Amino acid sequence: MMGRRAVPCEGLRSATPGTNIILLLGWIGIVLVSSSILVRLVTLGLVLLLAGLSGIKIREFLRSLRFVIVFAAVLFITQVLSVREGAPWIGAVPWLTDVGLLSGAGMALRFLVILTSSFLFVSVVDPDRLAGMLIRLGIPYRYGYLLILSLRFVPFFQRELRIVREAQRIRGLRASVRSPKGIRRTIRYTFIPVLVSGLMRVDHIALSMKGRCFGLHRRRTTPALETFRAIDGLVLAGFAGLLALAVIAGRGGWV
Amino acid sequence: MEIETRDLRIQYPDRDRPAIDWLTESVARGEIVVITGPSGCGKSTLCQAIAGFIPEIIPARVDGEILIDGNRVHETDSARIAQRIGYIQQDPDAQICTLRVEREVAFGPENLCLPPKEVSCRVDECLEAVGIEALRHRETTELSGGEKQRLAIASILAMHPRILLLDEPTANLDPHGAKMLFDLLSRLRSERGMTLVIVEHRIQPLIEMQPRILVLDKGRRVDRHARMRIDPKTMGRRGEQERSGYPTPVGDCMLSIEQLNFAYREPLLENLSLDLRHGEILGVIGPNGGGKTTFLRLIAGLETPDAGRVQMASGVRMGFVFQHPHHQIFERTVERELLIDCDAEQPTDVTRWLAAGRLNGLGGVPPLSLSLGEQRRLTLLTALRRDPNLLLLDEPFIGQDRQNVDWIVSQILDHCGRGGSVILVSHDIPIVEALAHRILFIDKPTHFGVSLDVFDALRAEGRIEFLPGFWEGDR
Repeated sequence: MMGRRAVPCEGLRSATPGTNIILLLGWIGIVLVSSSILVRLVTLGLVLLLAGLSGIKIREFLRSLRFVIVFAAVLFITQVLSVREGAPWIGAVPWLTDVGLLSGAGMALRFLVILTSSFLFVSVVDPDRLAGMLIRLGIPYRYGYLLILSLRFVPFFQRELRIVREAQRIRGLRASVRSPKGIRRTIRYTFIPVLVSGLMRVDHIALSMKGRCFGLHRRRTTPALETFRAIDGLVLAGFAGLLALAVIAGRGGWV
Repeated sequence: MEIETRDLRIQYPDRDRPAIDWLTESVARGEIVVITGPSGCGKSTLCQAIAGFIPEIIPARVDGEILIDGNRVHETDSARIAQRIGYIQQDPDAQICTLRVEREVAFGPENLCLPPKEVSCRVDECLEAVGIEALRHRETTELSGGEKQRLAIASILAMHPRILLLDEPTANLDPHGAKMLFDLLSRLRSERGMTLVIVEHRIQPLIEMQPRILVLDKGRRVDRHARMRIDPKTMGRRGEQERSGYPTPVGDCMLSIEQLNFAYREPLLENLSLDLRHGEILGVIGPNGGGKTTFLRLIAGLETPDAGRVQMASGVRMGFVFQHPHHQIFERTVERELLIDCDAEQPTDVTRWLAAGRLNGLGGVPPLSLSLGEQRRLTLLTALRRDPNLLLLDEPFIGQDRQNVDWIVSQILDHCGRGGSVILVSHDIPIVEALAHRILFIDKPTHFGVSLDVFDALRAEGRIEFLPGFWEGDR
């Protein structure tokens, strides 16, 4: 609708949502199909590189994913400790085998790539543009807008939850999970106010959408198809290179 | 007549009296009508009915009829109503449907299946009309309260309505934002000849637009002014409670703030130092997003200062009443809410507290089913119930009618009379002026002192919308 949109050129942020979807699915597909650790490592490196090129501070990016990183480390350690096949990696430590290390690293890397690439996708793709693309692909616009509305509610619920917790603190109400009664009370004291806020917000947005004729017609004006830009070509060429590496690694039996 | 109601009666389910009670009223094309009256008098109901939301979305029994240009609202296609009437709700943030400014304005025209070129033209035109072209690519969550209000108006104007219904449009705006909004409405009327129906407690700044005032009470018209004619006494100031110019209490220091610094993305508070004495009322005013609520949060320990310190005298017990009552309501009944986290209480005491809050007979009622005014009284009571000597109040007068404002003011004065102190954040400048011993104006530059000095400084800076005289005669 808006014609040629002046989107600032910031890595994946300025690529079309379609390119970002292809990239996300491609990365996930590669780490699921390829057994090469090198390929998974390169994929993870690419995700981080593109995050940096998209204006995301890598330190903050990793901090946001700290639970994912910790969980990946737990996966790695569990795998290393539980796998007994293969030759001992260090003679004095017989339970530390090369197979255990490789399978642990492979599993942790696969997990990391899937989660970091999904997080990157959510961070760089504008939901409005994504919904516009989905609607163009034939998805009914009511469902396309569900995506936007749900994303619209995420910061709202985060804020409401923070305010309610602060209100509890001010009133001297302590969250307790030590007894069923305490759990029940904590849930009631937290969720009732947040739920009330949420329902009030839903009512207001429903009125606002109705007041602007949402849902009146079967179709609505859809945003113009976004033009394919140089960044899309570059990103897809890079992805093709990664795909080629995965194929070569698969045929060559690379680790 | 552009809008007519004939013997209109609206009753919500499970309510024992109608919200609108046989109202016959008319609004001419290009006219400005301000609807005012106490909370629950039917102002919002009337707007929602005219906009066609009642009973289509909000269930209620409707008798009589509403005519827009001679067509019955209930027989008119809602798209045609939305093209003629734009309804702007009280909280602009709550009505934003999308994530970017440009998309928000395009949302309505796109729903009307207008050609992309036409949609684009309307977006340009409406962003320019409300003066937010520069925000075109911004995320809606990043906007200030005033910017959101302008966006809400732009997104409604994009539907090309001839009538605008605005439900307390300044409730969440600072005086500067409110003045900008009134200027914008004045321009829309003169340039486009739009009909404006405005629900508003603050009437004084609208005088220049020469509105007709419709005063409602219990769903009925109780007064009708041919032209603006406000009696300051009937519209309510606190009369004998005015305390402007009273000397600052000289009791012991309760709170001491030294060289306080705090920043989110950019500095909000810089090198702020002040003290608060027993029995003192400190009024805090300033623009939206300036740091008024943050100031209260720093005192309450909900934020940590970047530098400087907030020091309480020993024995200070604090009560903090948030802006929205529903955030502080947790229990299933009003009585349980009052007794929350308290030791076993004598029933008579609960009765006394209920009476003090004019909530007699409502002890067994779910608190969230109370009106906004009753919820506000309940949250203030629950704060007072803990016997604080320092009371922090964040915008306690928003959406409150005169009776409730008077009740809140009386509680503040009683609290201070017992030696307690109050920090009052409010956009209601006349009330702050009347109550506060000293005023803190938070913006760049910050001003702190007795009201006369602070208002003199603001006058010298040309910030007339923050002066009490600008709002004189309201309520």
